[in-house]
Amino acid sequence: MSLTLIGLSHHTAPLSVREEFAGRVQAGQHSLADAIAAGRVREAVLLSTCNRTELYISSDEVLDNAALIELLPHAPGVPHDTIAQYVYIHHGIGVAEHLLRVVSSLDSMILGEPQIQGQVRSAYESARKLQGDRRLVGPVLSRLFDIALRVGARVRSETQLGVGAASIPSAAVELARKIFGSLKERRALILGTGEMSEIAFECLADEGAHTTVVSRTPERARELADRRAGAAVAIHEFAPLLPHADIVVTATAAPHAVITRELVERVMPRGAREPLLIVDIALPRDVEAEVGELPNIFLYNLDDLHQVIEGTLQKRRAELPIAEAIIAEGAAEFANWYRSLEVVPLIRELRERAEETRASEFDKAMRALRHLSAEDRAVVESLTRQLTAKLLHKPTVRLRDAATHAETTSIVDAARYLFEMKERDQENNDR
Amino acid sequence: MIGFLHGFALGSYLVACIAVIRTLAGGRADLPRGTLPFIVAGVLAHLGALAAYTTRYGELPLVGLGPSLSTLAALIGLGLITAALLREVRPVSLVLLPMMGVLLTAALLVGVKPSNAEMQFRGVWFVAHVFFAFVAYASLAIAFAAGLLYLLQFRALKDKNFGRSFRFFPSLETLDRLGHRALLTGWPSLTIALVLGWAWTVRFLQSLATENPQVIWGVVTWLIFASAIIARLGGAGRERRGALVSVFGFVVVVIAWFVLRLAMAGGQVFL
Repeated sequence: MSLTLIGLSHHTAPLSVREEFAGRVQAGQHSLADAIAAGRVREAVLLSTCNRTELYISSDEVLDNAALIELLPHAPGVPHDTIAQYVYIHHGIGVAEHLLRVVSSLDSMILGEPQIQGQVRSAYESARKLQGDRRLVGPVLSRLFDIALRVGARVRSETQLGVGAASIPSAAVELARKIFGSLKERRALILGTGEMSEIAFECLADEGAHTTVVSRTPERARELADRRAGAAVAIHEFAPLLPHADIVVTATAAPHAVITRELVERVMPRGAREPLLIVDIALPRDVEAEVGELPNIFLYNLDDLHQVIEGTLQKRRAELPIAEAIIAEGAAEFANWYRSLEVVPLIRELRERAEETRASEFDKAMRALRHLSAEDRAVVESLTRQLTAKLLHKPTVRLRDAATHAETTSIVDAARYLFEMKERDQENNDR
Repeated sequence: MIGFLHGFALGSYLVACIAVIRTLAGGRADLPRGTLPFIVAGVLAHLGALAAYTTRYGELPLVGLGPSLSTLAALIGLGLITAALLREVRPVSLVLLPMMGVLLTAALLVGVKPSNAEMQFRGVWFVAHVFFAFVAYASLAIAFAAGLLYLLQFRALKDKNFGRSFRFFPSLETLDRLGHRALLTGWPSLTIALVLGWAWTVRFLQSLATENPQVIWGVVTWLIFASAIIARLGGAGRERRGALVSVFGFVVVVIAWFVLRLAMAGGQVFL
């Protein structure tokens, strides 16, 4: 039996290559179901995100690299040699160690990002659904993904890997939360309608803030505001709204400052009654630095947001040893279970051999003891069964125990030698 | 039993305090899971110690320095637990736990035992008077803790210092809300306590006892409560002003206590 992973990620392949593999889950699952039907693999789970495409396979035989690349869903026409440059392949326990790191977001582009756990769960759930008349997962990958999801949840709850902001919009939201607590019902002004303004608008709307989009082109402002029931005003109308705002996010393309100290002092002659957060994510900056010197006004620019993000990432990196320890526990749990699978065929064979011997010896004995009644024969047969079971009990338990340790191979070979059973290679050749 | 339970409470506060400091030093945002149960266990043991005191001596632990300090620390602990039910305000324990520890240690050093002082003012009037006064002082301590963290977080945000305290301390709004509620609890409590004290004095002693250090202390505290609440009423930066007055006012109350205690005439029962 073999457990294998083939995949590529942001560590090994540029975006242009990753694009050739992304979004092929449906077609990939169909071809994997065919591979299972044909007996080439036993189980398969396909994980596909914008940063990685990975195929987890359990099979009877170790598949060569060409066969693995063939199974990995990709755009037609991409040469196998090209794919081979970007993929990584893991076998056995290494597969589990990799998946546990992935699900815990230690392998993610942004350490601690929260989406990957849901993506792994979704890949697993998808593989558990019927593909035609069969499921893609069986006992090995079920066990692996169950442990992985449990480990991912533990890492999330027992470490601070998911805490803090790790992107520009989330850093802005974190700063806002540190001032206002909940952003629900807070009044936010978004200056500009570019990509960053759109993201900020969505983030603040998600948090329940009342948003007003301000733009030089009122039509564009209206279009953006209508997405989340926001309001829209022209840029020359925004100044009177400033004293009533809690949060201002500016990301215009203006070549000069849009919010000046003079403007703020004019519209708020007695200062900001409530704290006012201004997040300036424009380049060149939209807000004069002197505005931040005014009382009760908190002004942050891109550099400040990067500082928040770096602080978060530093903190997350400090949590790595705790996460690694949780992952090691999960990997050990899977490794113990996985190794125990290696002795299952041996135990089965041992028991079959013992049963054959018992039955044959019992028949011989019964031919010599024809005078026994049916009840007496039953007693003797029960005796032989009990003896066989008792004799095999300890070796079975010991074999299972030994399988959880690294010396499995030598113990299995010793058992085969002692009980005169064929070596595995020979067995395969006979087949 | 009284000593053991007090010791247990002090130990629990100490352990919880270390956990809080480690959380701050480690730059983590959330307290470890076991911290709140430790605080709850400490406060329960503390209340148990005060109940044991009442049973043993046949009086409430409201008279004499040791019992009073212990009761005040327990009430601050109850206030902390109430506040801690809101997860985001748990970091105020960074200020309140050491305060409780200091009060309890002082109580244990001077001895939690009856003062045996002759008192005219006893009975239900007295119990209600002291209870409301203690609730007020515990509330002022919580307002101080919230105000102090508010000022530190405000400075961190203004200076763009996104370090440990920025991550650990709650939002300005949360701290302001906690401080405001503490003031709104403490001020009426102290008003009731003062009215009860004066009513008794006027009725039974036919005097306002304005020269009494306890009365002076009570009035000073009442004025500080009033100032903190008025400071929050309106205008730009009212939250920060409220926090400043709460912090400054609490320090004034503590200093006033020392000054009045040193200046107090012998034989009087004063905290």
